Amino acid sequence: MEEILRKKAKELLESGEVKVVIGYGWNRQRTKTTPVFITDAAEADRLVWNPLCVNNLSVYLTRKFKDIQALGKPAIVAKGCDIKNIVVLITEAQFKRDDVYIIGMTCEGTVYRQELWKGELKPEIMPTKCHNCDVRNPHLADFVVGEKSSFTPPETPTGMVFDKIKAIDAKDQAGKWAFWINEFSRCIKCYACRQVCSLCYCERCITEKNMPQWIETSAHPRGNLSWNLTRAMHLVGRCTFCGECERACPVNIPLNLVNQKMIQVVKDAFDFRSGYDEKTHPPMIVFSPDDKDNFIK
Amino acid sequence: MSNNIYLPHLVTIEDIYEEAPDVRSFRLVFKDKALRESFDFKTGQFGLYSAFGLGESTFCIASAPTRKGYIQCTFRRSGRVTGGLSELSIGDTMGFRGPYGNFFPVDEWKGKNLVFIAGGIGLPPVRSVIWNCLDRREEFGDITVVYGARTVADLVYKNELQHWEDRNDVRLIQAVDPGGQTEDWKGKVGFVPTVLEEAAPKAENTVAVTCGPPIMIKFVLKALEKLGFSDDNVYTTLENKMKCGVGKCGRCNVGDIYVCKEGPVYTAAEVKRMYNDF
Amino acid sequence: MADRILKKEDLGRLIASVNAKGGQFIAPALDARQVVFKPVTKAEEVVTDYIVARNSYKELVFPQTEVVADFTIGKHGVDLKGRDVAPQETIVFGARPCEAVSLSSLRAIFTWDYIDEFYTKREDALVVITVACTKADDVCFCTTVELSPETKTGSDIYLKETESGDYIVEAVTDKGRAFIEKHASAFSEGSAKAKALFIPEKIGTIDLKKISARLKDKSHYDDQVWGRLTRKCIGCGACTFVCPTCHCFDITDEGTAFAGERRKNWDACQFDTFTLHASGHNPRHYQYQRWRNRFMCKFNYYPEKFASKGCVGCGRCIRVCPVRLDITEVMEEFSK
Repeated sequence: MEEILRKKAKELLESGEVKVVIGYGWNRQRTKTTPVFITDAAEADRLVWNPLCVNNLSVYLTRKFKDIQALGKPAIVAKGCDIKNIVVLITEAQFKRDDVYIIGMTCEGTVYRQELWKGELKPEIMPTKCHNCDVRNPHLADFVVGEKSSFTPPETPTGMVFDKIKAIDAKDQAGKWAFWINEFSRCIKCYACRQVCSLCYCERCITEKNMPQWIETSAHPRGNLSWNLTRAMHLVGRCTFCGECERACPVNIPLNLVNQKMIQVVKDAFDFRSGYDEKTHPPMIVFSPDDKDNFIK
Repeated sequence: MSNNIYLPHLVTIEDIYEEAPDVRSFRLVFKDKALRESFDFKTGQFGLYSAFGLGESTFCIASAPTRKGYIQCTFRRSGRVTGGLSELSIGDTMGFRGPYGNFFPVDEWKGKNLVFIAGGIGLPPVRSVIWNCLDRREEFGDITVVYGARTVADLVYKNELQHWEDRNDVRLIQAVDPGGQTEDWKGKVGFVPTVLEEAAPKAENTVAVTCGPPIMIKFVLKALEKLGFSDDNVYTTLENKMKCGVGKCGRCNVGDIYVCKEGPVYTAAEVKRMYNDF
Repeated sequence: MADRILKKEDLGRLIASVNAKGGQFIAPALDARQVVFKPVTKAEEVVTDYIVARNSYKELVFPQTEVVADFTIGKHGVDLKGRDVAPQETIVFGARPCEAVSLSSLRAIFTWDYIDEFYTKREDALVVITVACTKADDVCFCTTVELSPETKTGSDIYLKETESGDYIVEAVTDKGRAFIEKHASAFSEGSAKAKALFIPEKIGTIDLKKISARLKDKSHYDDQVWGRLTRKCIGCGACTFVCPTCHCFDITDEGTAFAGERRKNWDACQFDTFTLHASGHNPRHYQYQRWRNRFMCKFNYYPEKFASKGCVGCGRCIRVCPVRLDITEVMEEFSK
């Protein structure tokens, strides 16, 4: 797959169809992958593909990265789950479908964190999203690399995240509150969750709006709670469960639980799952006459 | 705590002057009477002004150290703290920490001609020097002031401009950007660097002091160079974002230079030696 | 001569002795599947098999949020009271020799002319007990920044593990000696053989002198290399918050319309609003400029201006980076 990927990247850069290929490369020790930006066809061989390619590179397509946008049209190496975010970005008019060349990678799963890699991809080191993945064959791509995957996700989603959500759902209100207060208490307000998220593309995040100060900047329980809840709310109907925020969190806050729970709520209320169709707008930004709730009629 | 460097002094707003749209000056006196007597600073130094509940903001001390008993600050309403300060009235309490930073070496300028060049809200720090020098008028040669703003309304210290205009020992050249003039505007129309070049103050035995928006300073420095000023005789004050004012919080640095402690006053020669981190 | 020993079964006694005398005992312990420095009361909580704790113990001397003053706003005006810190004796056990060096760097910043007593008082009350490393991971690079597990600078007490899990104790400072005296019952005498220390290999392609020289030459500032190396940086503050020498903070007011606190909160030079002026001008508009500032701070400002180490090679920033931006790769580039 790597060879085909490199060949395609070389081709795209040589023909001038794209100016930069956003993909994965090795770190210095060749033990971890890291995002690379290939602008010269001669460097296309730096691209790699393996189960350590965990990052959702779609974040680099957003307006947060003006210097990358300045390079010109990008091609992006994307797994199905990453493509979901690209789809959301298109539905939210961040760019047009034609503005990006998607090199879709068929994928048999990645590791949850690169540190867990011991040379073999075992189910226990894969994140919940991989166990339930229905986009192992990229659903929106200009070019697909890899053999078609025959994996079918389980009828009922399974995995650690779903188990934990069930456990939290079973708690009473005080129990839920105690659980989340404890988890959020570790937050250090580094905003890695926001920065790594391709859907957190606001130029001025609400945390930085201080007239009035909506969210206290101190990392105390009140400030942490308001930050994490606000971010969760801003992702409702948009989050694709790519898991980048939880992976990026230096203090292991289980953000996947929040986001997957929201996904379930949106699924139940609107029968909508984000990231599948670039022509359908997410429920929070459309009005539909057959909306379940009639408050607006 | 014996020495809490982040604890401001309480000051009372004694008077408020509307300078321009969204720009106002406060005349402040320390609540502590002993401090009111003993407080001293040098022209060019700055302070951190608190609107309690909203935070602190950094401005220069706009009054002259030759005028004792009070300090004055001038600010434009632009953010959380300046917004809060704008809501305060005469008699209200705010906080002040300072004075911090270095200063204009006014004593070294004795016997020299002085040219002051300011743009918009850049006049307050320069005003401190101007008044300091006017209060010691006989020690200096010719004094020229070039001051411009976007529009006539945006000119600050209008009364003082009139006063300087009326004095025969100051040459004042006022300007507004093209389009910013009113029908009865008698000053120049043009950008400050151009107006400065036209005014062509002589460089010999002359010190220039400039403050304004970064882009203006950049072109004023070029204009002064053209007029023959040496970089050692041109002073400016760098107003970077600051939070602590005492060299700890790590955000005002221009390369390895901590503006709050080693600045804010620099010669053009020093500025040119800095890392390009403006 | 017999060595002074801290037997593993006496660690609990030491913790109890510290707690009994009003001190807090901080040690590497598990929290949310990570090894972090946190207060412990029992020896069983202390983790001994770790590389470095996730967090830096700088938070004991420079807390993430510190109230510096309280105020109330009433009809009569403002009441303002500065906070005083009277920190309890704090023992950090299991610090690594690399990070122990960082305290002198922080001290240099916080006592530069104006003295931040919040910092100095906390540091004065802190006893640093380091445990020399017997293993490392692939991002430890202390030897590359001229430190090693044998470095004792910054440690008050320096421990070496023995094969049986005890510690050979070396008092480095007077503070360390006084601590041992105060809690003498936890220490014993004997002789033991220390486990071999693990000295990470120096990264051959990195040369601190060359980095220093290149950073001093101001022409590098607008070099495209910065953009190229740091393009992937997403601008979060994770690296700065885990870094033992990063010291930047914000000052902010919190509270109601009538009363509140002035707080000193950690801030990061990587945030886009960090240097943003009220006018909208931002001296560091692009992320590479912010990253450049961090690198300059570590390898120019700290060493040249404050005669101290800006980077101790603990590797925390590399481990924590969501995009795996490795500072040693930048060091390598600037060693050319």
